[in-house]
Amino acid sequence: MDTLTSMYGKKVSRLALAGFMLWASWGASSVWAEALSARMIMEKANLAAFYQGDDGRAEARMKIVDGQGREQVRQFVILRKDLEDGANQWFYVLFSRPSEVNRTAFMVKKQVVKEDDRWLYLPGLDLVKRISAGDKRTSFVGSHFFYEDISGRNINDDEFQLVSDNDSAYQIEATPKDPKLVEFSHYRVVIDKQTYLPLSAEYFDAQGKVYRRAELLKVELIDGIPTGTVLKMSDLVSGGYTVTQMRGIHYNLGIPENVFAERSLRSPPREWLDNSAGH
Amino acid sequence: MKRWLVDLALSRPKLIFGLTLLMTLLLGVQMVRIQVDTDPENMLSALQPDRVMHQEIKKRFDLSDMIVLGMVVKEGRAQTVYSNEILTLIDALSTRIMAIDGVVSQDLMSLSRVDNITQSSPGEIRFSWMLENLPATSDTNSSVENAVKRLPLLNNTLVSADGKAAAIYIPIVEKSQSYRIAQEVRQLLPSHDMLDFHITGLPVAEDTFGVEMFIQMAISAPLAALTVYLLMLYFFRNPALVASPMVMAMAVVISTMGLLIGSGHTVHIMSSMIPIFLMPVAVVDSVHILSEFSDRFRSGDDVKAKVREVMGHLFTPMWYTSITSSIGFASLALTPIPPVQVFGLFVAFGILLAFLLTVTFIPAWIVSMSPEKLSALASARQMTAQQEQSHQTVLSRMLRALGHLSIDHGKWILAVAFAVMVVSYYGIRQIQINDNPVRWFEAQHEIRVADRVLNEHFAGTYEVFMVLTKTPENAAMTVERAVERVFNSRKNSDDFDHRSYWNALKSEVASNATLEQWLQFLDDQSFSVEEKYQAFLSDVIQQISMALSGQRYFQQPEALAYLDSLQSFVNQSGEVGKSNSLVDLTKTVYRELRSGEATDYRLPETQNAVAQTLLSFQGSHRPYDLWHMVTPDYTSTAIWLQMKSGDNQTMAGLLDKVAQWQKTHPLPEGVVLNWGGLTYINVIWQGEMVSGMLYSLLGSFLTVFVVMVVLFRSVVFGVLAMIPLSITIAGIYGLIGWMGKDYDMPIAVLSSLTLGLSVDFAIHFLQRLRELKQSLGSWHAALEEMFAEPAQAITRNALVIALGFTPLLLAPLIPYKTVGVFLALIMLLSCLVTLLILPAIIRLKADPSA
Repeated sequence: MDTLTSMYGKKVSRLALAGFMLWASWGASSVWAEALSARMIMEKANLAAFYQGDDGRAEARMKIVDGQGREQVRQFVILRKDLEDGANQWFYVLFSRPSEVNRTAFMVKKQVVKEDDRWLYLPGLDLVKRISAGDKRTSFVGSHFFYEDISGRNINDDEFQLVSDNDSAYQIEATPKDPKLVEFSHYRVVIDKQTYLPLSAEYFDAQGKVYRRAELLKVELIDGIPTGTVLKMSDLVSGGYTVTQMRGIHYNLGIPENVFAERSLRSPPREWLDNSAGH
Repeated sequence: MKRWLVDLALSRPKLIFGLTLLMTLLLGVQMVRIQVDTDPENMLSALQPDRVMHQEIKKRFDLSDMIVLGMVVKEGRAQTVYSNEILTLIDALSTRIMAIDGVVSQDLMSLSRVDNITQSSPGEIRFSWMLENLPATSDTNSSVENAVKRLPLLNNTLVSADGKAAAIYIPIVEKSQSYRIAQEVRQLLPSHDMLDFHITGLPVAEDTFGVEMFIQMAISAPLAALTVYLLMLYFFRNPALVASPMVMAMAVVISTMGLLIGSGHTVHIMSSMIPIFLMPVAVVDSVHILSEFSDRFRSGDDVKAKVREVMGHLFTPMWYTSITSSIGFASLALTPIPPVQVFGLFVAFGILLAFLLTVTFIPAWIVSMSPEKLSALASARQMTAQQEQSHQTVLSRMLRALGHLSIDHGKWILAVAFAVMVVSYYGIRQIQINDNPVRWFEAQHEIRVADRVLNEHFAGTYEVFMVLTKTPENAAMTVERAVERVFNSRKNSDDFDHRSYWNALKSEVASNATLEQWLQFLDDQSFSVEEKYQAFLSDVIQQISMALSGQRYFQQPEALAYLDSLQSFVNQSGEVGKSNSLVDLTKTVYRELRSGEATDYRLPETQNAVAQTLLSFQGSHRPYDLWHMVTPDYTSTAIWLQMKSGDNQTMAGLLDKVAQWQKTHPLPEGVVLNWGGLTYINVIWQGEMVSGMLYSLLGSFLTVFVVMVVLFRSVVFGVLAMIPLSITIAGIYGLIGWMGKDYDMPIAVLSSLTLGLSVDFAIHFLQRLRELKQSLGSWHAALEEMFAEPAQAITRNALVIALGFTPLLLAPLIPYKTVGVFLALIMLLSCLVTLLILPAIIRLKADPSA
């Protein structure tokens, strides 16, 4: 009975609170609705871009092109396992090219509520290193992508606002909650209404100039899941860019958790890395 | 022709004025298109190999020109720059500087924009912004201090070793914007009770020079005009008459500069001196005309007839002195230095134009003067003549004494001249060839101060790049060889089939494809390849990958070891403040991957270990910094040398030492060493200038000699005419040698100028002497007479030019001062030498009994 009343009481107070807020924000009610839906759209986009299936593998080839058109290539296989959709997930990356970095491995345990854990294995030094937590807006292996672009930016780090909304896409502006942690003042994402895949993102500097642009160049349906297979990140200041092509993508392979153990850094889990994995 | 020209001027003066005005206007309007060029790089032609290489190096390693902002703790203060308050200021300044238009923000180097590489705990590596989370206190931040001291690429570059100074290196898009950017940076600087701010860097020096060049053109050239005008007014006492050469000289200067600019040339430090050179030179011939005219004209004379008489008398010597001066300047075209060529040719043009106007515009002006003014001239002239009789005795007495000296003591004069030549010879051998654009400013100029202060604290603000390159073999050949290796290892029966598969495949690849492109292509193929070729294809890919690794030469430990030893050599050579390279970066990151202890500050043992060390670095905030040190294909690497001095001699000394060192430490096979950086480029154009000036001097010497022989129709007189200027040039350069004055660009161009100008005195002297000999009968009598009126005319002329150049002494820039001092010196010396040597020789030769 006590419980019931208290529950009832809680309900009442919640309703009252909601009513109060509704009243307080009467004039700006549409803003409220948009802010909520912008966040919801971003959550869906986050799922569509980073949480396809329960796990997956893909082969990636990164072409890093500098302002003068000089190319470098990085080739690697990625394994991913989601512990919870929209929340914690694990990545394992094994490099094959350039051949000098063959068997270099990288692992991330992405955690939404605390800092990610990251490890690097350098076979030439026979060394496993933890990459210290903190700033994730550093380059991913010299490409124009940041670590954060690869594993997905924490959705709780930004405030979102719906800027425009047409037949095919939403445009959402994201503003960092702590501007000191990032180099942009805000960014704008265009999200496809059908697939919820982010089609592009533009990063603005303090002067309001776009200096960095991410684009999804190709979407393919893989195992029934719309998947971005060609991504491009451009540095508009230097004129350099990186294109990542994904191939050999498979979802829902049933990759076991122990594949993401530290041991895998030194002895790669071949059966899951192979293109025929799970088939 | 001379008759016709003078007659035209006398009969149609308005036509002459109209044409002169039209030419001056048409060419004058071109001046609005002026483009100033202060880039010392342009001392070399755009195709000069070292310059091409310098540009190639800048492009290859994405290097921008840098402005350096230095923050130095005021003298007497105990603090260092490692206080949180100053670090916060550095952070704020960096952010605001990055927002300035024209700054290459991603390459800006400052404590707040670089990574600290640490192991926050054992087994960890961390790349974090050096100044993240600064506390808002004024305490000393020893963690930043310790971090900087651990990172060789930052220590003594971003913060001085004594902690008293910090620097922000501001890369800029275009050198031509550096003055504006430096101004904008200056506006951001707060007044600070603990810090002095300094801005320097070659781009600022160059650009500031350009701005000050305009100031000097706007001040010195008009002052030269005023000086010449006042001198002439003193000689002729007739403002209206004296105005004519001034107006004429103005028309010459405007037309010449208009033509220079209109024909698409930039105004360089050399060409900015054209007005001030032309101004006195252009009026010299007019001085002769006015001199003779005012001497001969009496009230009631027929003006036209008098002018015709004077012109008939002076036309030829004026023509020859103009030709020889022109040749002297035009010979500068023989130097391989474009701005000097342009300068020489346009001054030469200006002199010829001045001659043309002297024989047309001046007569036209004189006949257009009102009779009252002309008679005033005549009476004024008589009055001054009387005055001069009394007070000019100083000059005339001096000249007469000089005449006796040279005529009666010829042997002694020649002995002294010989001694001067011997002394000069030793002086010339001591000449130090040295230049440094920063020294173009006066010692107390803020740029010189900044240069001095910052180089006292830091490893050096002058940049030199040593670039080592190993060019890989042709990609197609490498691929063929890789495929042959695969076939050799297979030895299967289906080789024939595989070969035709391979031939079909390779025909799809462009002939100039890189190995990287081959790999991408083959890799794409591997997704659609028929089962039976799969193993073959993956073997080929494997082989090409390995070949590609082999071509990444500067990832290989032995290549880095060579770089390392080269660096240790230059670091202790004495010329270099500090060197920065791929070796330092690799060792630093490797140390942090290992123990973090000094013992692990070394090069990894294998290529893969090097590559993986660098891959780790590429996970930082500034991965592209790597490409300032090595190309993405690892075939070329740059060592950045920081020099404390931008003097040519320092650079030349380093080049020598490295060449010596290479004899015992030859470059690895196939590796080529190139140099770049403005400090190096300066040495190159200096070298070209010295040899170029020698050619130019010899060329004009011979040409002037031939002209003299033709003019005097006598080889003996031709030789005589060349003697005073030879002694003058030797004497001047001997003096420069003995004084220890560096032989720099302005000094270098003086030789040709001297030749062109000082031969004038000899021409007038010899021409008059021959005329007098004819009328008086003996050389001795002729020489005696020479030291009356003619010597005075020559001396007067020397004074006009010498004093006309003195306003250059007021210029804020050293090269202009140098030219001002030495030209005045040259004029007086060559006048003196002419008046002493020629009489002595002629007397001894013509009358050996004396």
